[in-house]
Amino acid sequence: MTEMQPQIRSPRFFRAFETWNRKFHIYLGLYFLLFIWLFSISGLVLNHPRWQFAQFWPTREQTSFEQSFQAPVATGNLPMAQDLMRQFKIDGEIYQLTNNVEQGQFAFRVMKPRTRFLIKADLKSQRATIERIRVNGWGVLYALHLFSGVRMENPELKRDWFWTKLWSFSMDALAVGLVVMVLGGVYMWYQLKPKRGWGLVVLALGILSCGLFVFGLSRLP
Amino acid sequence: MNPSLGIKRSVSIWIRDLHLYAGLFISPFILVFAVSTILLNHAWKPWTRTAVEKTSAPVEIPAGLKSGAEGVPAAKQILRQVNVSGEIGFVRHQPQNNRLIIPVFKPGQRITISVDLTTRTAAIERTRTDLWSTLIYLHRTPGPHNAQAPRNWGFTQAWGWLADATIYLLLFLSASGVYLWALLKAERKTGLILIGTGVLSFIVLLSVLAR
Repeated sequence: MTEMQPQIRSPRFFRAFETWNRKFHIYLGLYFLLFIWLFSISGLVLNHPRWQFAQFWPTREQTSFEQSFQAPVATGNLPMAQDLMRQFKIDGEIYQLTNNVEQGQFAFRVMKPRTRFLIKADLKSQRATIERIRVNGWGVLYALHLFSGVRMENPELKRDWFWTKLWSFSMDALAVGLVVMVLGGVYMWYQLKPKRGWGLVVLALGILSCGLFVFGLSRLP
Repeated sequence: MNPSLGIKRSVSIWIRDLHLYAGLFISPFILVFAVSTILLNHAWKPWTRTAVEKTSAPVEIPAGLKSGAEGVPAAKQILRQVNVSGEIGFVRHQPQNNRLIIPVFKPGQRITISVDLTTRTAAIERTRTDLWSTLIYLHRTPGPHNAQAPRNWGFTQAWGWLADATIYLLLFLSASGVYLWALLKAERKTGLILIGTGVLSFIVLLSVLAR
């Protein structure tokens, strides 16, 4: 500990930290460029559901067809759904599984940002009705913003598709990247003595306006 | 000195300063959205703590009780009487039960006002949520819900503007960041590799997900 302290506090350590902090700020920003644009634009679309140009639901393509299948050998709702999806050549994130064993009715939804399927399988007659909905580019943007495979309201839901896991990982990476960029950016500003005054004013404005919503409004009656 | 070089230099100084100040202003907002992204992405509610308070108050029943967005003006009159503020959700007028249910939301609180139209009494159930739920609420607000109904609380409207401003400033930061990086010759090669890697991973993901 006593040996480490002088080393950590040395100007050389700080110089290296500052250099790498600056580099990381630039590199993270460049790597996540398209991810930032995607989540920014889709965030705007989500916040403005009345923007006419971004409407996607009224222009969706909806098709429905029937298909026969072989009785799934797997047991359990999820493996059965995966078995049927293999037979129907469908991939995506599975959710809303319902299985009425007595009536032999098995239904589930499969979600991908552009396409979603509603599959209603009759296990007795081994025939399924498959409803497919496809949305336009705005619909894809909208869905990508929300596509995590889990729901706050349903904590038991788990991601079951590899690409959902990867997309969800990218969302985490972007969030962590942005936190690192913010903290690194604030540090870099603080090192610029001539910019400290106005910077402090602007940062305080940001903290106060954001703090009002995070901490202040809950104190209102 | 070449005048065009002078202009270029002053433009880059302006952009650098704007990049700095815009970044500082939105930094707390970015932290709110980034932390809540992680919570939403894993359906996490760490250390969830809520406290429920139940009270009741007599109320005068206003005219024009309706369900949905049309019921908001009457609901606002009731909120004033019981001293509750917040964004009114989907109002439910249940004539068969002689009841009016008004859900009210704001960061850190969920309030349900259940008005018994016979006894003219409002039962108020106030749930105080923790910081994590507040962050999630703010991330989702204004959001796509209830698209037909306009926001009915000034602070929700203001948060909507701030959320939009955060996005526009983030887009500006991203574009100005690329401009400022392009001026740094020493970082050009690594930067190009990182942009390329980022674009490639983005395209691979989208080509599968948006198929």
